[in-house]
Amino acid sequence: MTNDRLYDLRSVSRVYGERANKVRALRDLDLTVCDGEFLVVAGPSGSGKTTLLQLLGGLDRPTEGEVLFDGRDLATLGDAELTGLRLRTIGFVFQQFNLIPTLTAAQNVEVALAPRGLDAAGRRAAVERALASVGLEERADHLPSQLSGGEQQRVAIARALANEPRVVLADEPTGNLDSATGEEIVELLRSLSNGGGRTVIVITHDPQVAEAAPRVVRLRDGTLEEAA
Amino acid sequence: MFYLKYVLSELRRRRGRTLVTALGLAVGVALVVTVNALSAGLDRAQDRVLRPLTGVGTDLSVSRPISFSRGGNGLSTGERRRLVQENGPRPLALTKLGKPGSHFSRDDFVATSQLSFSSSKVSRIRQLSGVAAAAGGLTLTTIHVEGKVPKRQQQAQQQFGAGSVAAGPPRNINLSSISVAGVDVRHPGLGAVTPGQVSSGRFFERASAAHEAILDLSYARRKGLRVGGTVHVGGKAFRIVGLAQTPLGGQSSDVYLELSRLQQLAGRRGRVNTVYVRATSASAVDGVSREIKSAVPGASVTTAKDLADRVSGSLVDAKNLTGKLGLALEIVGLVAAFLIAALLTIGAVAKRTKELGTLKAVGWSQRLVVRQVTAESVVQGLLGGALGIALGLAGAELVSAVAPSLTATVANAVQATPLPGPFGQGQPTSASTTIHLDAPVSLGLLGLAVLLAVAGGLLAGAAGGLRAARLRPAEALRHLE
Repeated sequence: MTNDRLYDLRSVSRVYGERANKVRALRDLDLTVCDGEFLVVAGPSGSGKTTLLQLLGGLDRPTEGEVLFDGRDLATLGDAELTGLRLRTIGFVFQQFNLIPTLTAAQNVEVALAPRGLDAAGRRAAVERALASVGLEERADHLPSQLSGGEQQRVAIARALANEPRVVLADEPTGNLDSATGEEIVELLRSLSNGGGRTVIVITHDPQVAEAAPRVVRLRDGTLEEAA
Repeated sequence: MFYLKYVLSELRRRRGRTLVTALGLAVGVALVVTVNALSAGLDRAQDRVLRPLTGVGTDLSVSRPISFSRGGNGLSTGERRRLVQENGPRPLALTKLGKPGSHFSRDDFVATSQLSFSSSKVSRIRQLSGVAAAAGGLTLTTIHVEGKVPKRQQQAQQQFGAGSVAAGPPRNINLSSISVAGVDVRHPGLGAVTPGQVSSGRFFERASAAHEAILDLSYARRKGLRVGGTVHVGGKAFRIVGLAQTPLGGQSSDVYLELSRLQQLAGRRGRVNTVYVRATSASAVDGVSREIKSAVPGASVTTAKDLADRVSGSLVDAKNLTGKLGLALEIVGLVAAFLIAALLTIGAVAKRTKELGTLKAVGWSQRLVVRQVTAESVVQGLLGGALGIALGLAGAELVSAVAPSLTATVANAVQATPLPGPFGQGQPTSASTTIHLDAPVSLGLLGLAVLLAVAGGLLAGAAGGLRAARLRPAEALRHLE
């Protein structure tokens, strides 16, 4: 882990709806994430974890405050710049894997590579590399329905890694897995940070996942408290 | 290509929706194919009816009808004089025919209900802009009188209608009439009879045309005449070289002779009463018609469109029905098909919120997502087009196989005249024919079907793409929770 600040969130608030329907998902949140850090954001359902992840991933903009990524305020970037950032710099892992059921494991990884404009050989090499990094090179031609939950999540991680991003954002990556498989996935994600030098931010309400992280922050009703 | 693989896999995954959307488009496309094929079949049927009327290559025919409704007041002094000269009473002075009891034979030529005009008018029409070719024609009725010269007493009785002998035509005297048309053989494609109408034998040969005759098929049958035989007109013998099919509703004559020979026989050298005109193009017809009316005062110009207007019967009813109801059917069918495709695509996009949100999260631009949704719709459209073409071809094939019968009734081209006898060829009659309908499908129509299907796919894709474009990735992913 280095001490370079990758993320710097300053007084970030995110409000949904208006007037009577107003929901304050995040309140004056300050957070710093260093480059190469493995961070777990824990908290119960409805605490604002997913909202925080979406702000970090440039999928959403804060109502107030700044989300600085590598010194740049994501709120000031246009849609095209945010799309480019997500494509080249950030990888997402979802609780429900979000794989496309009609595409094979390799094609699901290729989905993340397609907008890059690589030629077929370049894409194939990147797919093989990504699947090998999660130990699924033998399952490249299998459809998601032919894979176990853990394998599907590995494919999702391979998709997130396909473009060799600086950051991997994982939203409840073990939520749909049994505990043993969940542990494997957490270990895999941790290895991306420790050995891979990537910044990995995992959102979870699973205490076991939190235990595995060197740094845990807890969200409660949209406010952050640093865990011991 | 990854994107195409993705499109095809998505369409396979949602087979039901893909099939329903494609079928919706297919019904619309099939309607267009079938209705247009029917319309083309009706056009072809009408063309089959009209072709004999127009003759091969004739776009307009020019005549100078006599306006009987105005009691002849519409004619100039010169025209009246010519009318009398050409058709005026020719008293049958029986005493001058020969000795009482001797045999006599006489032929008179009278015009039909049209005035004749100088052949120079043909040259003038030929020089008008928009005219490709023009040929004159002369249609006359020859009245043949034959019998024995009556005795003086009989003549007196017959002349004054006195005594026991009733007034009326002299006994032992036969009258017969036939219609004769002169054809300018220098322009075989333009005239009262054309080579295409000759059903047996041949058309005139220029070198020997003066001694040749072509007979109307029904006249020949009635008189028991055949190709190779002889027919007498104006006391002269002509060798029958061909028999011509009577065109439906056309201005047929019993006998066709070479024009200058008929002019000579009838004492009408340099006179014609019909000009057949071919325009340089279909678009020139109206302009030529106006110019002819201006160049030949009193001329009546009949165009192919006028002829088409004279066709009635179930053929025309079906054509009108196809023209109005068919178009409405096509529009309703297509709008419904496009609407179904668009709604299903929008529905599909709504169901794919999670997937499209994921695509945006992993770095797909809005343009790429919209393109993907649109591409799926276009492929669905192509599938619908293929299905629609198959359905449409089946529909057209069914129509051709059933071949429903349609009748076409065509009013005669000869103007009605209240004066039977020497002025005309009798009252105009209507002719009917039965035509079996088919539904031809052209390559152009198939191209149109594909275009419509793609347009339907694009429209549906645009609707779905618009929905996809509006998806904010965060909202799309939150949708999962």
